[in-house]
Amino acid sequence: MAQYSPELDGVFLALADPTRRAVVRRLGHGPMSVGDLAREFPMTLPSFMKHVRTLESNGLIRTVKSGRVRTCVLNRERLALVDDWLAEQRRIWEERTDRLEQFVTDPEENRQ
Amino acid sequence: MNLDRDLDLDLERIIRAPRATVWSAWTDPSRLERWWVPAPSRCRVERLDLRPGGAFVTRLSDDGAEFVPHMDACFLAVDELERIVFTNAIDSAWRPASPAPVAMTAAITLNDHPDGTHYRVVVRHGDPEARAHHDKLGFAEGWGTVAAQLAALTENMQ
Repeated sequence: MAQYSPELDGVFLALADPTRRAVVRRLGHGPMSVGDLAREFPMTLPSFMKHVRTLESNGLIRTVKSGRVRTCVLNRERLALVDDWLAEQRRIWEERTDRLEQFVTDPEENRQ
Repeated sequence: MNLDRDLDLDLERIIRAPRATVWSAWTDPSRLERWWVPAPSRCRVERLDLRPGGAFVTRLSDDGAEFVPHMDACFLAVDELERIVFTNAIDSAWRPASPAPVAMTAAITLNDHPDGTHYRVVVRHGDPEARAHHDKLGFAEGWGTVAAQLAALTENMQ
C-alpha cells in the first residue's frame, strides 16, 4: 500500500468532512446531478461546489456535464484504495475453492 | 440471480470429483475443517446445522491451542447434493449482526459435469459505503464529535 500514499492522503483528506462523506454515501446509491445533491445540504451552492471540487480533485467522484446539467458519479476504484474489500473477498473465496478442490481430489482423503 | 458488479462476486470451477464427495466435504464437520481456512491456521466447526435457519459457527486458531470466534452465520437454504446458502447478516441465534469485514450471503451450487462437479459460488455483499463509513471513517466521525463537544464546552465557558 505504501506506493499509494499520496493518493491515500488525498482520499482521507477528502473524506475527513461530514458533508463530503454524506455526498459519497449518497452517490453510493447511484449518480446524481449537482443541483439535486446540493438541495440535500443546508449550505450555499458555492460552498457545496467547493466540496464537490475537493471530492473530484482527489478522484473520489467524476463529474460529467451534459447540456446544463452536471452529474456526479462515485469513483469506486478510488474508494477501493481505502479499502479494496471486494478483491479481498474474491481472493478468500478463490483460495477456499482451491483448498476444497485439493481436498476432494486427494485419493488418500477420499478412499471409498 | 441478479449480480451487482460492484458488490458481488461469482466464481465457477470444474472440480474433478463426484458431486457426493464435494457435498460431504461441505457437510461433514471433520471434513469441512480440513479446507475451510488456510494453513497453518486451524478451523474448528462448532455448529453445522444443515437446514434453513440452522447455525453455521466456526472457530479459528493460529497455534492449534487457542481457538477464537471466526464465523457466526445462519443457513438460509440447504438442498441435498445441490445447494447451500448461508448469511452472516443474521447470526446463529437469529440476531441481526454487523459482521466484519462485510455482511454477505453466499450461495454454493453443485451440478454434475462430465469431468466431475460444476461448482459455483455467488457471494452477495452489503453496501460497502455503509461499511467503509463504519470501519474506515469512524476515526473522522469521532474527531468531529470531539471537536463539536469541545466547541460547545468553550462556548458555554464564555
